[in-house]
Amino acid sequence: MWTGDIMITNPNAYDLIVAILNAIGVYNIILGFFENMGMEFVLRAIIVLVEVAAVVAFALVTVMFLSWLERKMFAVVQARYGPMVTGPRGLFQPIADGIKLLGKEDIIPATADRWIFTIAPYIVFVSVLLVYIPLPFGESLILSDLRVGLLYIIAISAITPVSILLAGWASNNKYSLMGAIRAVAQDISYTIPLAITAIAVVVFVGSLSTVDIVNAQQGYWFGVIPKWFIFLQPLGFILFLIACIAEMGRIPFDFQESEQELVAGFFTEYSGMKFAMFFLAEYAHMFAVSGIIVTLFLGGWTGPAIPLIPIQITSLVYFIIKTYAVIFFAMWLRDTVPRVRIDQLLHIGWKIMIPLALLNLLVAAFVVTAGVI
Amino acid sequence: METETLLLNVGPVHPSTHGVLRFKLRMDGEIIRDCQIVVGYLHRGTEKFGEMKTYLQFIPYTDRLDYIAAMPNNYAFVKAVEELAGIEVPLRAEYIRVLVMELNRIINHLVMMGSLLLDLGGSTMIMYGFRERENALQLYESLCGARMTFNYIRPGGVREDLPEGFIPKLNEFIKDMDMRIVDYEELVNGNEIFLMRTKNIGVISAEEAINYGMTGPSMRGSGVDYDIRKVEPYSIYSDLDFKACMRMEGDSYARYLVRVDEMRESLHILRQIVDKLPEGKTINQRYSFAPNTGAPSAVTSYFPRIFTPAEGEVYSRIEAPKGELGFFVASDGTTKPYRVKIRSPSFCNLVALPKMVIGLKIPDLIAAFGTIDIVLGDVDR
Amino acid sequence: MNPAEELKYLLPNSVVSVGIQTNKPLAVIRKEDFLKVAEKVKELGFDSLSVITGVDRVDRIEVIYNLFSYKKKQNLALKVVLDHRSPEVDSVISIWKVADWLERETYDLVGVKFNGHPDLKRILLPEGWIGHPLRKDYDMNTEQFVTIGEDGEDIVSFDGSNLLRRK
Repeated sequence: MWTGDIMITNPNAYDLIVAILNAIGVYNIILGFFENMGMEFVLRAIIVLVEVAAVVAFALVTVMFLSWLERKMFAVVQARYGPMVTGPRGLFQPIADGIKLLGKEDIIPATADRWIFTIAPYIVFVSVLLVYIPLPFGESLILSDLRVGLLYIIAISAITPVSILLAGWASNNKYSLMGAIRAVAQDISYTIPLAITAIAVVVFVGSLSTVDIVNAQQGYWFGVIPKWFIFLQPLGFILFLIACIAEMGRIPFDFQESEQELVAGFFTEYSGMKFAMFFLAEYAHMFAVSGIIVTLFLGGWTGPAIPLIPIQITSLVYFIIKTYAVIFFAMWLRDTVPRVRIDQLLHIGWKIMIPLALLNLLVAAFVVTAGVI
Repeated sequence: METETLLLNVGPVHPSTHGVLRFKLRMDGEIIRDCQIVVGYLHRGTEKFGEMKTYLQFIPYTDRLDYIAAMPNNYAFVKAVEELAGIEVPLRAEYIRVLVMELNRIINHLVMMGSLLLDLGGSTMIMYGFRERENALQLYESLCGARMTFNYIRPGGVREDLPEGFIPKLNEFIKDMDMRIVDYEELVNGNEIFLMRTKNIGVISAEEAINYGMTGPSMRGSGVDYDIRKVEPYSIYSDLDFKACMRMEGDSYARYLVRVDEMRESLHILRQIVDKLPEGKTINQRYSFAPNTGAPSAVTSYFPRIFTPAEGEVYSRIEAPKGELGFFVASDGTTKPYRVKIRSPSFCNLVALPKMVIGLKIPDLIAAFGTIDIVLGDVDR
Repeated sequence: MNPAEELKYLLPNSVVSVGIQTNKPLAVIRKEDFLKVAEKVKELGFDSLSVITGVDRVDRIEVIYNLFSYKKKQNLALKVVLDHRSPEVDSVISIWKVADWLERETYDLVGVKFNGHPDLKRILLPEGWIGHPLRKDYDMNTEQFVTIGEDGEDIVSFDGSNLLRRK
C-alpha cells in the first residue's frame, strides 16, 4: 500500500485510514491543524479510537445476529419456525431479549464478594474482545499487526478460565464453585492440544504474526486448489476444530449448561445484565475463535479478486463468509449430537488429542526441515 | 484418607425426572454409592376411587394412569371386567382395540426416545418424535374426540365405530412412519457420542431383571424372551404375525434398540389389521341399547345402568408399552367393585434402578433412568 | 395337575384349600407357614412375582400374591388370611426382590405389616400420614394437610397450620 512516499508492507487499519484520508486530501490539513496546537498524538488517538469503536460495534452487532441465527437454525433443524414475531422473521429478537434482561432486578447474594461478583462478567467480556485485536478481517483491516499475534491470542484465551473461576468463587455457592472448577478443567485440557496444533501451523509459516500466516496461504496449486493449510494439515484442522468447540463450551462439550447435570453452572447466581454479559461473551468468543480457525487453516481473507471493487471490501466479505461457515458447522453440531460425559471429555482431551497433536507437530516439523514446504 | 459421602438430592422438580420424582443419592465424589427413590408426589388415590365408582365410571380414571399412552390402561381394566363377568366381544371390536393399542405403542416409544435424547443433550429427536405424535393424536381425535384421555374401550367392545376416512389416513401415517424410523436410526443409532453415553451403562442381567420384577421392553433388553402377547395371547394377537423384539446385552443401548424394533413391529401389526379388518358390530349387543331408529349401522353403546358381575376375583394383565400392566378386580356382586388394584409397570421397573446405577456417575443415572421409561402417573397412581 | 394342586400335594399341612381365581389356580396358605411355602413355590419355578394385593374384607384382611413362571409359563395365586386387628405376615423380599416396594405399598395403603422387611415405611403417602386409606373403616372426612419442610421431608398436619396459606 502506498502512503505518501513510504511503501508499507503488512499495513494495518491505522494506515488504511490515513491512506483514505490522504486520498480524499484532507489528511495533511487535519495533521497541520493538530500540529499547530502541538497535539499530534490527539489525532493518532482519535484515529485509533475510531477503529476500536468500529471493531467493538462490529462485535456487538455480530453477537446479536449470532444469537438470532442460533435460535433460527436450531428451530429449522427441528422442523419448527423459531422466533417469528419480533421484527421481520424474528430479527429483533435479540433486542427484545436484551431489553428484558436489562429490566430484571440485579440480585447480588448477601454473602457474595461484591466487587469481584460485579466485575467478573466484564472481565470475561473484555478478555474476549481483546482477541479481536490481531484478527485479520481483511487485507489491511487489522487493528494491530502484532508480531506475536498468535501467541497473544492463545495467552489472552487463557484469561477466560481465570475469570470463570472468579465468577464461581465470588458467588459463594458450593455448586457454582464446583461448576467453575469443572469449566476451568475443561478449558485447560483443551487449550493444550489447541496450542500444539497452532504451533504446527507456525512451523509451516515461520512467523507468529497472523498477517504472515494469511499471506502464506495465498496462491493456488494447479491454478485451482487454494493453498490453504487445511489441505496441508487435515489432522491439525480436525484437532483444532474440536479443541475450539470444547473451548467455546458448546455441545457436545456442553456440560456447563446442561440442566441435567446437578452441579449448576458457575453463572447461576447472576441475573439481569451480568447474565447477559456472559452470553454476549460466549457468542463473541464463538466468532473470534471461528475467525482464528479461518485465519490458520482456511486462508483468512484470501479469495479471488473481483475487478472494480477494492480488495479491502472483497477480503472482508470472504473472511465473513468463511467465518460464518465455521460457525454454521458448530451450530449444526449443537443441534444434532448429544453431550459427552465429563470424564469422557477429559479422556478425549488428554489421552487422545494431545498425542495426536504432538504427532501432527512432529510430522510438520519433519516436513519443513526436509525442505518440502 | 478418610472421606465423607455427600448426600445429594435430585428433584422432585427437575427437568429430567419425567415428572415429580426424587432421588436421594449418597455420593463419593462423582460416584453414586447409594440411591434411594422417593415416590408418591403424584398419588391421587385411584384405587380408592375404584371402590366408590361403578365399573363404567372408573374407566376414565384408568386413562390418567399412563397418560402418554392411555388406551392400554383402559383395555387392561376392561379385560379384567370381561373375564370376571364372562362378556364376549365381537370380532370387529377386537380388531379395533388392537389397532388403537398398537398405535399407542408407537407414540409411547416416540416419547421415550425423544426424552432420552433430550436428557442426553440432543434436542432434535424429541421434536421429530412429537411431530409424528401429532399425526397420531389427530387420528385419535377423529376417532374418539380426545387426544390424551381416550375413554374409548368399554366392556363388550368399543364406544364408537371408526369414522369415515380413518383407514386412508392411517395408511398414510404408516407410510410416513416407515420413512421416519429410518431417519431416527440414522440420527441416533450410530452416533458415537450416544453410544459412549449408553453402552454398558445400567447393565442388568436376565435373572436379576426377572427377580426385580422388570417387565416389558426393559426386560427384553436383557435377553428374557417373554412377551405377554405371545405367551398368553389375548384378544386377536394369536392371529397376527409379529415377533417379540429382544436384545441380549442388558445395557441402556439394548433397551433403546428394543423399543425402536418394537415400533417397526407395531407398524407391521397395523398393516395386517388394516388388511384384515372385518365388518360387524363394535359392541356386544347385550351391553348396548341401540335406540329404535331402524338404522342398522347406528350402534353406539349405552352401557346398562345396572351392571353387576358375579362375585369373585380376577387378575388379568396385558403387554402395555411400558411393561406388564395388570388389574386385580374383586367384585362382591354390586355395581361397584370391591377392590381394584393396579399393577403398574413403571412402579415395578423402578425397583431395579438402584441396583443398576450404584457405582456409576450422575450422567449415567440419567441415561439409565431414561431407558427404563417411566411415567409418574403410572408409578404413583 | 395345576400348580396349586401340586403345592397341596407337596406341602399338605400348609395349604388350607385349593381353588380358582377366575382363570388361575389359587391356593390358600396358612399364615404361619407362608415363608416356607413361598420358598417351595420359588423352587417349583415361579420366578416372577407380579403383584401383592391387600383386600380388606371387613372381618379379615386377605393378601393375595400372583405369581408367574417364565420357564413353565404357568400362573399361580396364593392367598393368606390375616387377622383384622393386627395383620402380619412374613416378608418374601429375600425370595423376590420386587416385593420390596410392593410390600411397602400394601403396608402403606392397607396396613399389613411384613415381618423381616428391612425398611418398611410408607411409600406413596407421606411419612406422617394417619390411617390406611384402603381399609373400609378409613375416615374419609378428616382432612390431612401435607407440605414439605426445610430438610425436604414431608410434614403432615390436621389443621393446615403448616401451610403457608391458611384455608
